[in-house]
Amino acid sequence: MITYQHLIDSFNKAPFIIQFAFIAVIIMVIAIVSLIISLKVIRSFLKIKDKEILKYKNEYEPLLIEYLYSGNENEELTETQQSIIAKIKEGIKGASRRKSVITILTNLMNEVSGEMSDSIRTLYHETGLIDYAIIRLKSKRWHITSKAIVELRRFKIQETHDLVSEFINHSKVEVRKETQIYLVHLFKFEGLSFLDDLKTPLSEWHQLLLLESLLNLENQQIGNIKPWLNSSNTSVVLFALKLTKIYNQFEMKHELIELRMHPDKEVRRSAIHVLNQLFGYEFEETPKPKNRQLKSEGQIVIV
Amino acid sequence: MQRHKIVLAEDNSTLSLLLKYRLEKEGFELLIAADGKEAVELVEHHDPDLVLTDIMMPFYSGLEVISHIRNKLKKETPVIIFSSAGQEEMVLKAFSLGASDFMTKPFSPNELVIRVKRLFS
Repeated sequence: MITYQHLIDSFNKAPFIIQFAFIAVIIMVIAIVSLIISLKVIRSFLKIKDKEILKYKNEYEPLLIEYLYSGNENEELTETQQSIIAKIKEGIKGASRRKSVITILTNLMNEVSGEMSDSIRTLYHETGLIDYAIIRLKSKRWHITSKAIVELRRFKIQETHDLVSEFINHSKVEVRKETQIYLVHLFKFEGLSFLDDLKTPLSEWHQLLLLESLLNLENQQIGNIKPWLNSSNTSVVLFALKLTKIYNQFEMKHELIELRMHPDKEVRRSAIHVLNQLFGYEFEETPKPKNRQLKSEGQIVIV
Repeated sequence: MQRHKIVLAEDNSTLSLLLKYRLEKEGFELLIAADGKEAVELVEHHDPDLVLTDIMMPFYSGLEVISHIRNKLKKETPVIIFSSAGQEEMVLKAFSLGASDFMTKPFSPNELVIRVKRLFS
């Protein structure tokens, strides 16, 4: 007690700077100890979660594989399959188990094709995982919505078209991106119809992602891109110009010539570039005095 | 009758299990490796009749597995590699190292069985 009193007296008598430094050191020590303890707690929690997911994975993996191999040539589900579906349906009421099942199914969807991938999709429907994804679509947290869209795309769920389409003009760019990829991935060129209603800008990166999805399609028959060349959204016009060039849309000649008068400089430049590529028109650097708008970009002459 | 021994090197445990069931049903004996290192050990210790390997794996890649079989062990064991879209250059490298066949993911397990059977016929 005497020692403590001595310390308190020393602290009271010490100059202000010493008192301040002492308090600061005490606060820092408390902060460091609390951080170490919280990190330990988080790490143990994550370890427990990982163990739990691994346990569920080991539990469900053989069950899912048994489901995949117990089908017959008819499209109807066999008794074994029905009993496995019932078992999974009951189990996935818990979030961790559901996460494990989705992880296993997603891993398989990326690796197998044909009848087996159709069978996985049936399982996704029958176990009600699709309903959980729809609930997550309606979440107020954007990252949950975004993940739900990715999941629906991976399992090729077309029934949710209308629900997903509502996010075309979502305030978060990540949700918009996933919506656009979902539509193109599942509905091919028809999926591009979202461009009709797109009010937000389509970034260069998103345009490339969409083009990549389109170029991977087996059927390269493109629809009518004329409305997008006349869109009020400049990024849509730029994307349509890319489509015009890649898919050799010679019939868009009139629209391309019109686009030389577009108020946006980038659009005018791209239109001239596409005209050059498709029709061999040459870009002339000499500005045309009659047209002030095109002064800096020059004009086109037919070679 | 002796069953053909196959080493399957694949880091996706679900796919490994799926292919194991399918190929065992067809009468093959399957040895599973979760990465390239395990695959090399299995090949060294069990002298399989066929190796099925993914290209991208932890520790040793599929290319290193083929190189080990051909250059270090000096074996002519057939090797089928699993590649993904965009790994065309890796597939070419695998063929130059001595791969026998390849399959691009996603693939049909039934097609794999046909290719494996063809190799043993």
